[in-house]
Amino acid sequence: MIGKGAIIFVLGFGVVLSIMGYRLHTLENQAITNMTYYSDVTTSHNLATAGANTALSILYQDSTRRGVITSQTITSGIFSGGSFTATVDSVSSTKLRLSSISLYKNKYRDTVEVYLDKTKLNYFSMYAWMTNFEGNVFWFTGDTVWGRIHSNGNLHMYGRPVFMEKVTTAKLINPKPGVGTNKAIFKKGYETGVAPIPLPTDLSELNNAAISGGRKYTGNIWITLSAGTSANNDGKVYIRSSESGPIIDSISLSDPTFNGALLATGTVYVKGVVDGRLTIASQTNISIIDDVIYEKNPLITTSDDMLGLVANNNVIVADNTANRSNCEIHASIFARLGSFYAENYSTRPISGWLKIVGGIIQDTRGAVGTFANNVLKTGFLKRYYFDERLSNSNDRPPFFPGFYSQTLNISGWWESVRIPEY
Amino acid sequence: MVTTLDIIFSLLLGGLLFMSIINSNSVVSENSTIINGQMSVQQMLVSTAQIVEGEFRNMGMGVDESELVVISAYDTAIAFRCDLDRNGTIDTISYWLGPTSELSQTQNEYDRFIHRRVNKGGVQSIGIVTRFNLKYFSQNELDTLTPPVSYSDLSMIKIVEITMEVQTSHGLYRDPRDVKMNERNAVFPSSFWRQTRLASQNLKR
Repeated sequence: MIGKGAIIFVLGFGVVLSIMGYRLHTLENQAITNMTYYSDVTTSHNLATAGANTALSILYQDSTRRGVITSQTITSGIFSGGSFTATVDSVSSTKLRLSSISLYKNKYRDTVEVYLDKTKLNYFSMYAWMTNFEGNVFWFTGDTVWGRIHSNGNLHMYGRPVFMEKVTTAKLINPKPGVGTNKAIFKKGYETGVAPIPLPTDLSELNNAAISGGRKYTGNIWITLSAGTSANNDGKVYIRSSESGPIIDSISLSDPTFNGALLATGTVYVKGVVDGRLTIASQTNISIIDDVIYEKNPLITTSDDMLGLVANNNVIVADNTANRSNCEIHASIFARLGSFYAENYSTRPISGWLKIVGGIIQDTRGAVGTFANNVLKTGFLKRYYFDERLSNSNDRPPFFPGFYSQTLNISGWWESVRIPEY
Repeated sequence: MVTTLDIIFSLLLGGLLFMSIINSNSVVSENSTIINGQMSVQQMLVSTAQIVEGEFRNMGMGVDESELVVISAYDTAIAFRCDLDRNGTIDTISYWLGPTSELSQTQNEYDRFIHRRVNKGGVQSIGIVTRFNLKYFSQNELDTLTPPVSYSDLSMIKIVEITMEVQTSHGLYRDPRDVKMNERNAVFPSSFWRQTRLASQNLKR
């Protein structure tokens, strides 16, 4: 009797312990399941991202592709057991959407959507600084640039120059940021290897605007800008065919029939105060013979004055008496085939500050002075300020040159957010 | 005599077995509580991490390049802009760590809510954590941007590091004799998660 009882007792004891062990085992398994769940959903998400990147790569090679552009099932590696399908469709006439949908272990799905602008019209005036070629000139400790910078060539850095807006280059930043002597600070980041932005092949848009609704002059002209009264936009433009000759034409910037474009086939010599919106263009050079400033400085107060100085070749700060004790230019400056530079920059006397409120867009980086051991020897010290109004892509001096972005710009990147299972 | 000895030995053996059962039951209960706690903190952590990670990845979606994406950045709070539901309207999403006083009724003195708010809407508590830390990096990671990040440096934020830790709200009391100086008097199973370099694609445009 006691023997049977003992067997039942031991068996019962075993059953109780087995149940306890099973429960513990189940709990441990559930804890592991939690971890594998997170791993699986992360893999699913990464798979969708990989699909988007793969599709982008295909799309950048052939931007005309639409519909399903890639569909892959992965049978080995970390994505084994997963698949993704990427499609491209038009959201509007100017926007594309790339959708990458992943499926992992036939259970988890994730979506990544990338929005791309097909073409985007931008104006060169949006840049505080742009060049085709930087030459071997360095951005240096102490340089601070407000506004966007782009170069189609290599950008050279030394020390800690500060860039307040995004910096882009079609080639490289040399040395790489954070490497060696390059300790540059990019407040809004940088991007290398972007598509080059070619300068226009001519100034035909401005030429056409000058012919129809603007003014076009043959040969060299001397322009004096006058602020008019204290009212806004009532500035005058006086044109002479020689420096001290009689006025051959005058334009009121408040005249609604004047479209704001003024062009000469020869060199344009310019000085004065701008009150209104105007673009002065030359099919050769523009020479700045004295300060060219806005009636209302946008760095100090609200201003609606805006000037573009557009030369087919160079924009030059003349070496004359007026410009030997500081020179101030309020304008977005554009030199299509040449440079913005100071005349006789390596031989002229020390000329004080060259202050610019606007931007400089040029083919080749020009010089405005020379230094020895960080001390100015000839020419100007620079004080370049970006006119923030120009960062608005809808605001530019009249008919200021523009460009279409050549590649599909990523304007937005969206990834599905997983609702937790628990 | 033999029968008496059998009964005595049986009682001894039975007593030992009974004591073993009681002891094993205690061990199983303790372990079960710890494992249950670990499982629940893992689930809480995974849930919270999925929400935080998912939304942080979309920061800057639809925001024009010229505009600010992160509008405030502290070590335990952040506010950023994105088109949350892709309807063309930019939303402002805020995350912040609440004070411990909000969860003073729980046994764990470090428990806090993570709060989330969209625009001027109501405050949602998306999880309970014992730690929620944010670090900010610029694109070339030259400098860690020290929180609170100044307004002029907000546009430099390209990468965010998120750290979270979750512990159970109720702990397992320890024998006071085992508790050393500056140690807690209870065991709180915990789970730790860190997203070391979360870089929204929208910040890299």
